[in-house]
Amino acid sequence: MSEELYAESVKNFLTGGGEVLMFYIEEKLYAFDIQYVTEIIQMQPLTYVPKVPEYIRGVINIRGKVVPVISIRKKFGMDEQVYDKRTCMIVVDLGDYQAALIVDRMYEVLTVAPDAICPTPDFKNVNTNKYIQNIIDLGQDTIMLLQIRRLVLE
Amino acid sequence: MVKFEAGMESMVDMFIYESTSLLEQLDQILLRTESSNGFGDEDINEIFRIMHTIKGSSAMMGLNNMSVLAHRVEDMFYVLREEHPVLENAEDLFNLVFAASDLLKAEIELIQDENSEPTDFSEEIKKIEDYLNILKNGGKPEAQATQAQSAQTDSSPEDANLTQVRVFFEDGCEMENLRALLLVNKISDDCAVLKYIPEDIETNPSSAKEIIDHGFLIKFQAENDEQTIFRAIEDALNVKSYEVVEKKSAQPVQTETKKEPESQKVSDKQSPEQETTAPAEKAKPKQSVEQINSMLGHKSGSKQSLISVNLNKLDLLLDMVGEIVIAEAMVVANPDLKNLKLDNFQKSARQLRKLTDELQDIVMSIRMVPLSGAFSKMTRVVRDMKMKLNKDVNLVFEGEETEVDKSVIDILNDPLMHMVRNSMDHGIEATAEERIAAGKPEKGTITLSAYNSSGEVIILVSDDGAGINKHKVLEKAKKNGLLTKDESEYSDKEIFNMIMLPGFSTNEQVTEYSGRGVGMDVVIKNIEKIGGTVSVDSIEGEGTDFIIKIPLSLAIVDGIEVAVGESIFTIPINAVKESFKIDQTQLITDTSGREMIKLRGECYPLIRLHEYFGIQGAITDPLAAMVMLVESEGKSACFLLDKLMGEQQVVVKPFSALLNRFNVKQNGMAGCTILGDGSITIILDISNMILSY
Repeated sequence: MSEELYAESVKNFLTGGGEVLMFYIEEKLYAFDIQYVTEIIQMQPLTYVPKVPEYIRGVINIRGKVVPVISIRKKFGMDEQVYDKRTCMIVVDLGDYQAALIVDRMYEVLTVAPDAICPTPDFKNVNTNKYIQNIIDLGQDTIMLLQIRRLVLE
Repeated sequence: MVKFEAGMESMVDMFIYESTSLLEQLDQILLRTESSNGFGDEDINEIFRIMHTIKGSSAMMGLNNMSVLAHRVEDMFYVLREEHPVLENAEDLFNLVFAASDLLKAEIELIQDENSEPTDFSEEIKKIEDYLNILKNGGKPEAQATQAQSAQTDSSPEDANLTQVRVFFEDGCEMENLRALLLVNKISDDCAVLKYIPEDIETNPSSAKEIIDHGFLIKFQAENDEQTIFRAIEDALNVKSYEVVEKKSAQPVQTETKKEPESQKVSDKQSPEQETTAPAEKAKPKQSVEQINSMLGHKSGSKQSLISVNLNKLDLLLDMVGEIVIAEAMVVANPDLKNLKLDNFQKSARQLRKLTDELQDIVMSIRMVPLSGAFSKMTRVVRDMKMKLNKDVNLVFEGEETEVDKSVIDILNDPLMHMVRNSMDHGIEATAEERIAAGKPEKGTITLSAYNSSGEVIILVSDDGAGINKHKVLEKAKKNGLLTKDESEYSDKEIFNMIMLPGFSTNEQVTEYSGRGVGMDVVIKNIEKIGGTVSVDSIEGEGTDFIIKIPLSLAIVDGIEVAVGESIFTIPINAVKESFKIDQTQLITDTSGREMIKLRGECYPLIRLHEYFGIQGAITDPLAAMVMLVESEGKSACFLLDKLMGEQQVVVKPFSALLNRFNVKQNGMAGCTILGDGSITIILDISNMILSY
């Protein structure tokens, strides 16, 4: 899937809603648009790849495919946690890129109505929330929907 | 814009493949006949047939421009075949046909590019028509072509002697008229007389409807054996059925459906008729039945034993075999089996191992193609340049039967062409006088040779020309700002290899073929893409060699696993010279703190893998760790690593697109591989590591 197609799907999500997969990082709820998620797998031994950015923790073998593993914590500038039995990886497929993303623990799948989605304010000079695509407002809970393509590629 | 007819998409691949191979065949015939100065009857017929096929199939695809061009060339050879005119300017004819062949090839390449318009060939067609007129006037004034045509149109009483067949095409196969034309083309060679109704199938698309309604009536008299023609009709594409209409209309019509045993009966009936049409058959009327029988029995066997397969399917097969090799290792080396005594299991496992090894060999061998195809394409390049540059050069092949992977051949074509051009243009001396003055034969020689050497295929493009002048190269490099160190520090080899840098060209004059300084760097890029290397060797006054080294197989390598800290890396075994432990006397540190290992009087730089890759927890004391001597492209270095883990055949997996964004290749990683236990190791790129250290 090319960049344009992705941008289009982001727009479609904003107007039409859709299903999201929710997970925790540092006790905060985040979510991915579920159409990019291929599977959720347990942590497994990673093969270290030297000379790449620190957030790429290594590669794993998913049914004969070598898939890079990205730590969302490292991407967000947090400390890498000790992997426990609740830590898992969400495998995403963007068509041209594949990656497994490490999260603290899974939560659940939720169908989001369009009126629950708020666009994020566009801070001109702040780079920190560039990974946030939308905020989903559920009354007492707010979920941050992540921009997977940016998270994986930037 | 899509250029070919709707509904023909599925045929495009086949069309491209067939036309390309026909055109290559054409080039070869032309080259052969040109050097022997004249066409034999065989050659004329062959070229005629090739053009005829291309004409028909491109018309079927709706590529009218190609069809018309092919038709004109065909016309030329028709005149040649029928009238045997005296060729006064054969050179023009060769140039015309070569040009037409090139245009057709170029058009075929563009065929799937939807943005380009069909090329206008009218200029070339005009040239051919002019030449055709000269040919006709030079020969007999009366064109026999028209005669033949008129013979076809008048329904002479001879018709009665002809066998009549009514052919029906499959429902909805479309363009019945062109399919009929193809059929006619197919059988025309075997027919002494051939007529058909409707007659205007080539020019009138509406004749298709008539064929649908009434069938396509062919009247023919066989040259030898009628059965070959029946069989050709039977085998033709999209033919649903055909019936033989008896020549005496009083007799009832024999209907025959394709591929039914009844065909024997029909042929029995036919045999008396054959006595009149094919006298050779007279003595043994039974033979045709036997022949038919044997044909039916051996139908599949008598077909050619070669098939063309989509390369994607082979790639898929290779991937699958790679997976099987991994899966097999996963089963056999399964941790669950540890400490179990399983005699029968081990026995079966060994058998499985043997079979997977064989399977792998076979799959690899399917993809192997001899280099002769790529080599013979160069004949054409040399021929064209010989004319333009006015140099007389012999092209010699050696070891062209050497086989390489299909994907390698595809990438090799361009580099070879650049190198041959370069040798022709820069290598061989400009004039014969220069060569004689240097004590060489008047005619220059370019040799293309290939051979296998330790898991690599080595291809040499050598010329016996002037060689490379080192001073000139250095001067030029200086002028173009390509020098990175002092002039005197360059070794001969480094100087020679400079000619392949982008933006380098020693030729004062830029010619059509070379001298712009692009090309040679493209050569290198292409070869490196498939994991190969290019180097140059030269002796001034004696000639220049381009040396291409490419790995024999791209997908499976023998590797040694080595441990560095907790990481495991795979080193391709053909790069490994030896591994050993060192003592204090062998370790030398120079003034800038760089470490070297002294071994048998030679010093090699020491690359500490843990430092190179930034790995924690590895053995840092060189005396306690293991040292491995590796060599690639004539450069050697020693690696410091923790220990050797063992040797294994591994399937190379390219890095994913995401990792390639970080230049992993330049950082010494060639790819990764999945080991028997499912874990991944990284394969080191030795040459990049040595170069970047």
